[in-house]
Amino acid sequence: MKPSPAMLALVTDAYRGRGGIAQYNRDFFEALSEEGLLSITVLPRQAPDSSGMPETIEQLQARPGRIAYSVAALRTALFRTVDVVFCGHLFMAPLAALIARLKGAKLIIQAHGIEAWPRPSRIQRTATERADLVLCVSRYTRAAVLSWAAIAPDRVLVVPNTVREVFTPADGSAQRAALGVEGKRVLLTVGRMDSRECYKGHDRVIAAIPHLVAKGHDICYMVVGEGDDRARLEALARDAGVSGRVRFLGAVGLQSLIEIYRAADLFVMPSTGEGFGVTFLEAMASGTPALGLGVAGARDALADGHLGTLVAEDDLQDAIARLLAAPKPDSSTLAAAARTRFGRETFAASVYAALNRLM
Amino acid sequence: MTSEDGRFVVVFNGEIYNYPQLRTELETEGARFRTTSDTEVLLHLYARHGAEMVHRLRGMFAFAIWDQVQHCLFLARDPYGIKPLYTANDGWTFRFASQVKALLAGRHLSRDPEPAGVVGFHLFGSVPEPFTLYRDIRSLPAGHTQFVDAAGPREPKPFSNLSELLAKGAANAVPVAEIPERVRAAVLDSIRAHLLADVEVGIFLSAGVDSGALLGCMRDAGQRGVRAITLAFEEFRGTSEDEAPLAARVCDHYGARHIVRRLSQQEFVEDLPAILDAMDQPSIDGVNTWFVSKAAKEAGLKVVISGLGGDELLGGYPSFADVPRWRRRFGALAVVPGLGLFARTLIGRVAPAFSHARPKALGLLEHSGTWAGAYLLRRGLFLPNELPEVMDPEIAREGMRRLRPLRCLGASLKPDPGSDLARVCVLESVHYMRNQLLRDADWAGMAHSLEIRVPLVDFTLLGALASSIPAITKGAGKAALAAAPITPLPNEVLTRAKSGFAVPTGAWINSVVGDAPWSIGHKPESKGNVSRRWSQAVLNGGPLTKRPLEVHAS
Repeated sequence: MKPSPAMLALVTDAYRGRGGIAQYNRDFFEALSEEGLLSITVLPRQAPDSSGMPETIEQLQARPGRIAYSVAALRTALFRTVDVVFCGHLFMAPLAALIARLKGAKLIIQAHGIEAWPRPSRIQRTATERADLVLCVSRYTRAAVLSWAAIAPDRVLVVPNTVREVFTPADGSAQRAALGVEGKRVLLTVGRMDSRECYKGHDRVIAAIPHLVAKGHDICYMVVGEGDDRARLEALARDAGVSGRVRFLGAVGLQSLIEIYRAADLFVMPSTGEGFGVTFLEAMASGTPALGLGVAGARDALADGHLGTLVAEDDLQDAIARLLAAPKPDSSTLAAAARTRFGRETFAASVYAALNRLM
Repeated sequence: MTSEDGRFVVVFNGEIYNYPQLRTELETEGARFRTTSDTEVLLHLYARHGAEMVHRLRGMFAFAIWDQVQHCLFLARDPYGIKPLYTANDGWTFRFASQVKALLAGRHLSRDPEPAGVVGFHLFGSVPEPFTLYRDIRSLPAGHTQFVDAAGPREPKPFSNLSELLAKGAANAVPVAEIPERVRAAVLDSIRAHLLADVEVGIFLSAGVDSGALLGCMRDAGQRGVRAITLAFEEFRGTSEDEAPLAARVCDHYGARHIVRRLSQQEFVEDLPAILDAMDQPSIDGVNTWFVSKAAKEAGLKVVISGLGGDELLGGYPSFADVPRWRRRFGALAVVPGLGLFARTLIGRVAPAFSHARPKALGLLEHSGTWAGAYLLRRGLFLPNELPEVMDPEIAREGMRRLRPLRCLGASLKPDPGSDLARVCVLESVHYMRNQLLRDADWAGMAHSLEIRVPLVDFTLLGALASSIPAITKGAGKAALAAAPITPLPNEVLTRAKSGFAVPTGAWINSVVGDAPWSIGHKPESKGNVSRRWSQAVLNGGPLTKRPLEVHAS
């Protein structure tokens, strides 16, 4: 039997890593390896966690340093068969393009969000233009890549994020009791609070709370996630006189996260910088309605308004009030719709269809 | 239309001229037809041959076939690109249409400009495929097919290549003496094919060789009392520039019924907003086609024959002499790196008036080193180095990078067509004719519900003449065409054609755009400079139209 083609994946992080990009990478590799389509070797920059390696995928030792990473990548490529180079982040594109060229391998570049929106350095742009495939998580990211890269548009495909199966709808009342939010209208945002980026839109929700309270909604805003912008947001809540209504929960474990999604009345993330916004999917897969701005990748995660609600920034307060006032939609129907559209099977099908272009 | 078993669904724009033969073949193979339409042939052919079906088609076509079983879409466009086909893919949804406007009307696509399209328009006076003015919209290139599956559109694949056809012909060049007979047989065959219709077929008749010879061949193909439409200009009535009298003689000669449509400056100015509105993509031409189509519509015609393509096929343009000559004369110097740029910069400094008045003269040293460069120089509206003066320099730079005009012109000459005439024939056919003349004929005709058929733009015809083209000498091609009808064209048509006819539309355009604030500042001293100002007017709308084309280099 002919051995399956070998993929060398250059990524920031995948297994034993945290965050959305690591998750996407894992989903991507697993979709490929499940069918035995490719044998995959992953070289990460970081792998902070201690466990979580699958058996079918080989992940090499992480190399945090840029030079050490490049040397390790070249050395790995030199001594192994490489048919496909997967480049998980635009800043590695020049290295990936070099290896692809040396090995005569196909090059796939993955574009997520804000890293791929502005025109990159000349060398990254040239590397991207050499790619056989550029995979983008959303239509917005794809359009951005096409705005700066002179590449045939047929090589730039959208493969949306997927949502893990652990997020399912269930009764959230126990969690509500544990959090002490019984009887309140619970808003939820899950996302990093980064002082350099500040795009997730926590500010906008906090600013909306006094108006919502004035309209009679007994709001509790739960903020999950860590980041160095937290102090500023806390101060913002104090200044608005709603610090009692905003709960910063920090980073939470997976099981807590699952239950917090179920406990919320409305997931709201008025972000302007989502590559896709996988937490919208996690909320909807948990049966909780989701609200975002009709900006960038959020349009894809909320399926142009077919799954969630998309509004303009000026309409945010009204939209939250409207959604809280309306009867809560059936959670299993919403979860099923989200999963049909963005579940693992759909994801695997779009990954195969994309990879099929190279084979 | 849907196939009998419901599996395939087709949408089709165009005409399949060999439809009767194809139908007979398919029926022999057991296909059952439910209609008398050529559209149904496409369904049967695709079911039997898949993508390979395109090689059997003779005609002008753009179509899409949806396969309900495989869940994939198949698109194809004719070898010359007579019919347009535009596509847009946002990563989730694939859209296609015969017009850019139709895609924009859906309101799902952005109007972000495509720098390559904007630059291409400034270089050529029309937007070169596969680009459009909008980044989200592309043209399926002529002679290509494309599959769209769950992952989106696959890269378009070529199924025909003019250069390859001509290269094969060059390898089997025929003796000069045989050329007239070959031209006669091939043109008559093409005319016969293009007369397939269930309505009356008229003709656009100028006093030139191409349309006159086609009218003669129409008679040879059995057409009697053909209605021929000539566009004439009030300004020229009674002067030697008036085409109408000679066209009338040709009509008499072939027993056709003549309709002369006189155009005045007033009507031209009145129609301009409608013309600019009908233009799908901006073009610096198409005005004459608009008015002659209008006349055909007034006469109640639905289908007309046009002589479009005769100049490209048989060496009718000055470029057939100029481009090879420039290559010979300046080509050796132009390969010296930097010499052209040096000369241009130097002359630009010491004699700025010269470089403004004759910008192309300065390009000779820079561009005539290659066929692509010499052609760009011949056809170019603006030259690449002039772009930053007429548009946002950043868009100009980005557009050049994305369009790569010289590379794209050069790529059309692969494999080498094998003779000077064939090389220019390819360049003119796949660039000027495809992106400009055929597009203009399409929007100007469609705006008047008129189907314009072009028997001299026919891949079967080109195949039949491929081995003759390398041997055609200056003037011999048109002479052979003039002699193609059993009763040859009157001699004076051939003689008159050499000196050419003037059209006053250039002066009319100048009167409209001459003082416009967005004119680029030079007094009208040549046709080229009028075209340049006109191009800016077309692109930017200006006072000519209430609704600008909405593309601004910003």
